Amino acid sequence: MSNETKLYKVIRYVFLIAACIFVIIPLVPLIFMAFKTGAEYSSTSVLEPPKNFLNTYNFAYAIRVGKLGRAFIYTAIILTISLFFQVTMTAMVAYVLHRFDFMFKKAVKIMFTLTMFIPVVATQNLIFRMMYAVGLVNTMWSVIILYSGVGIVGIYIMLNQLDNISREIDEAAMIDGAGYYYTFLHIIFPLMKPACTTMIIINGIGLYNDFYIPNLYLNRDVQTFTVALYKFFGSMSTPFEIVAAAIIIGMIPIMIVFIFLQKYIYNGLAGSVKM
Amino acid sequence: MKSKNRSIFIISFLVLPLIHLIIFSYVPIIGNFVLSLTNWKGFGDIQFIGMRNYQRMFTNTEYIKMFKNCGWYFLAAIPQLIFALLLAVVINGKFRGLNVFKGILIIPYLLNGVIISTIFIIFFNNGGSLNAILEWLHLDGLKHQWLQDLKLVNPAIASISIWRYYGMNFIMFFGALQAIPTELFEAATLDGCTKWQEIRYISIPFIRKVLFINILLSVSGSIQVFEIPYIMMNGSNGTGTPVIMIQQSMSTNRVGFAAALSVMVFVIVLIVVGLQKLLVKED
Repeated sequence: MSNETKLYKVIRYVFLIAACIFVIIPLVPLIFMAFKTGAEYSSTSVLEPPKNFLNTYNFAYAIRVGKLGRAFIYTAIILTISLFFQVTMTAMVAYVLHRFDFMFKKAVKIMFTLTMFIPVVATQNLIFRMMYAVGLVNTMWSVIILYSGVGIVGIYIMLNQLDNISREIDEAAMIDGAGYYYTFLHIIFPLMKPACTTMIIINGIGLYNDFYIPNLYLNRDVQTFTVALYKFFGSMSTPFEIVAAAIIIGMIPIMIVFIFLQKYIYNGLAGSVKM
Repeated sequence: MKSKNRSIFIISFLVLPLIHLIIFSYVPIIGNFVLSLTNWKGFGDIQFIGMRNYQRMFTNTEYIKMFKNCGWYFLAAIPQLIFALLLAVVINGKFRGLNVFKGILIIPYLLNGVIISTIFIIFFNNGGSLNAILEWLHLDGLKHQWLQDLKLVNPAIASISIWRYYGMNFIMFFGALQAIPTELFEAATLDGCTKWQEIRYISIPFIRKVLFINILLSVSGSIQVFEIPYIMMNGSNGTGTPVIMIQQSMSTNRVGFAAALSVMVFVIVLIVVGLQKLLVKED
């Protein structure tokens, strides 16, 4: 049973198809461009498809000259370490806030909440000086340290999960003689896996796509993929069809995420709203 | 003994995240207030110069223009939010192709600033897709040098944020709509409610809070615009924003002035958040 009239159904499809066209139109010329030869690019319209969709010259050239492989490895290392710290520390904070009452609990909560209102861009001026003073600028550790904080959105995702894990489980473990650390590490943390997955995906996309921090702190040999693309794109000598190919390569990991983990993105972001 | 263990446990779990928070959020904010009153170069002596950094910020038309540019991004947020809301409302249901639509519509949300900048340079360039499409539609009169024309460049690149950010708003609206109990819709259908009435009297009121959060995110986001004008234009052609200026002041060792700009951005965000608290209480 439904109250959707035929007119409504038609309007819905028209609107959704129009929206998809709006999304796809700017992407099409990029894809065309990545497969065109240099001569073809300068002589044809951007809306014209390439003659040969199997022309992979631009892609090979982009990988070789843009040092994209190395940037991929740095990105993977930075993401892995940062996400590890983010997720475990967020779970620890959320566990303590959820299961224990203690002095200053409210103050701790407020401190984490207030950071939501501190724009990252308004703090880097001084942090850059600090990082510079300790010699971490131009090393990946500056970025990893900055990324390894605990955010309030993550805390809420974890708190929601802890609501669904019975306190009796903790109590039973303690009665059996398990200490606080053992209980958290071996009993509760494994049960928080769904919240950890959500956080890894949402924050992983955010970190992979971040430009401001890596562009500020990494400049020479160590680069994340986003910054490598930017350097590539910013050097005027690079032909634009090569840039287009590099961009397509940059989209591949995201497209994999998109195909396999779409459900988590919808559910995860929606879940963080309900806080 | 037990309570001592308990305290040690709690402290050990909180200490690292709290230190991180203090060093990387609270110290810089307070430090910026102090530094904004100096002309520190990042090295050497610190000299206090009172409010001179702020004075410069508010009297130089070049800097004022950067704050004004944020207005274009705020304007772009209006169609962006309306579009995202309409999408969330019509997609909330069961119909053929739902997952395909959801998949395509999420793409822009997944792309980073460098990718989006490249895509839109191809779009707005003189020989780019927008002009090619206009030519194809025989609307040659509307063709422009979008990125060179000083009048058009800011609205043009601000409009990119519609494409880039509607996805996040859409996912949040959609999540809020999904949280509405289905019994409500069923009851409405039984009572002979039309689809339009259902949207007007159930869907929209239910997501008002999320709508409000999204409006605030857009306002505080538009004061912090950085990536698109920086990557596409390097802030040239009058496309500078306060954050681009912070970046440039930092790289030219004008730490005091960068601090003053940072304080300004922070204060504006705080005002926006304060307004939210005021308006929510009135509800």
